[in-house]
Amino acid sequence: MKLVLVLWPSFFVAGLAEALFFTLVNPHELYLLGQPVDWSPLATYSVGFFAFWFVCAASSLATMFLARPLQEGGSPAA
Amino acid sequence: MSEDSGTTKPRIRAKARVVPIAVDDDSLYEVRQKVYPRAVSGVFAHWRWALVWFTQILYYGLCWLPWNDRQAVLFHLVERKFYIFGWVFWPQDVFYLAVLLIISAFSLFLFTAVAGRLWCGYACPQTVYTEIFMWIEEKIEGDRARRMKLDAAPASPRKFAIKAAKYGAWGAVSLWTGITFVGYFTPIRELLPAMFQFDIGGWELFWALFYGGFTYLMAGVMREQVCKYMCPYARFQSVMFDADTLTITYDTLRGEPRGSRRKGEDHRAAGKGDCVDCGICVQVCPTGIDIRNGLQIECIGCAACIDACDQVMDKMNYPPGLIRYSTENAIRQKWDGRAILRHVLRPRVLIYSTALLILCVAFLWSLSTRSALRVDVIKDRRTLAREVEGEFIENVYTLQMMNMAERAQRFGIQVSGIDGARIDGASEVGMDPEQNRSLTLRVRTPMDAAPKGSHAIYFEVKGLDDPDLHAREKSVFTMP
Repeated sequence: MKLVLVLWPSFFVAGLAEALFFTLVNPHELYLLGQPVDWSPLATYSVGFFAFWFVCAASSLATMFLARPLQEGGSPAA
Repeated sequence: MSEDSGTTKPRIRAKARVVPIAVDDDSLYEVRQKVYPRAVSGVFAHWRWALVWFTQILYYGLCWLPWNDRQAVLFHLVERKFYIFGWVFWPQDVFYLAVLLIISAFSLFLFTAVAGRLWCGYACPQTVYTEIFMWIEEKIEGDRARRMKLDAAPASPRKFAIKAAKYGAWGAVSLWTGITFVGYFTPIRELLPAMFQFDIGGWELFWALFYGGFTYLMAGVMREQVCKYMCPYARFQSVMFDADTLTITYDTLRGEPRGSRRKGEDHRAAGKGDCVDCGICVQVCPTGIDIRNGLQIECIGCAACIDACDQVMDKMNYPPGLIRYSTENAIRQKWDGRAILRHVLRPRVLIYSTALLILCVAFLWSLSTRSALRVDVIKDRRTLAREVEGEFIENVYTLQMMNMAERAQRFGIQVSGIDGARIDGASEVGMDPEQNRSLTLRVRTPMDAAPKGSHAIYFEVKGLDDPDLHAREKSVFTMP
């Protein structure tokens, strides 16, 4: 269930970010490590989505980690 | 409707009980008890099924509808164009998408303020697919009692066969749902044959399985947990509720004190309310709550308990509606239907309705006056102006032209604003359907046409076949 709490909101936000980003940016105009991205558009959209999801999930995970209640002595609860 | 707010306000819950969601700080969720909803029939069940049919015919069918040699509704990611019947939307049209989202949000606010979770109970895909999956479950595994017995039984070939049949049927529906989903982004009439020849692109297959897999997981396995723990709307809907919002309500005043009785017994004389405490309202609930405890966040407003209770009331020869759509105020002040309706038109509802109406009119107006021609004029910055043939001043411009129509067009281009200004070269341009084109234009004026400096110049583009198509763009002409 903690997994859901990390993956679900990040999925949601990644979807929004994906829609906004690719509305504004044509996948053919992207450069990756100095090389033009010549993948099929569907591949670019898919990889883009998972990249957004991964970044958002990392943020959710960090939030989860910091939101853990502190126990006495300041060490986080297990 | 929190437990500790409003100390002097009469409570409508007779036996309010707080169900703890968090057991302790570390475990965020209570241990899930599997819910075995009992099938129910009745007026609201019919509405729910009507909505299942409506939404699913729309979803599974719309991608097969042809329109001018193409799919009627296609979000073509590869071409970066959205086709919706006669309209073609380009990335430049994101404005329409934004307005559409705002309209959806206001509709949701309005419906919620008037009658609570109508969306959740009848139209949300989570509800609709859960309904379909529960129907399959009921057909294969049997009714509620048989399902519970089957789950409790030890493993056996028969149990395995029944479970395999159910999971297989769920899988088939999920897979078709996933393929349909991808069919809105890749033309489905090409996708499906490719799929049968194992010639489908890797990403198409991946997204079909991804969407199908999540349909299976959410409608088959997680069900009410999605509404309880994952749905953001469930969390913030309470701010749209007030005491005049229609919600599924148990009439505490009429039902309590609850208790069993013999048929025909004068329960009023025995000091009992109308609730016979049969527990069927709890058994039919897809989220497993007891509506008699009052409005709870888990209630998705599906009205299954209304149907179930009305059947029991009918058997007991009591009037229906012990559980019904009502409002907090109506229950407390014993209003009839007309009094409830009178309170529907309150400031909140009027504000939402007005905003919604304005947005819808603006949206439709903007859509109907949307031009299929788009022109941008960019002045060449490298050479501001030059002298040609000893008698003209020339400025160079780039015209970014978009023909968004699905047919070829010819356009005539004219310049105005400075006396004697003309285009050097062809002033007609032909464009293919849905073409983006950039055109270099040289504009000349006589040297003495205007004093030194910058002057406004207008580019007028007109459709030669369709005079309704025109655009007028302003730019600057530099006289050296």
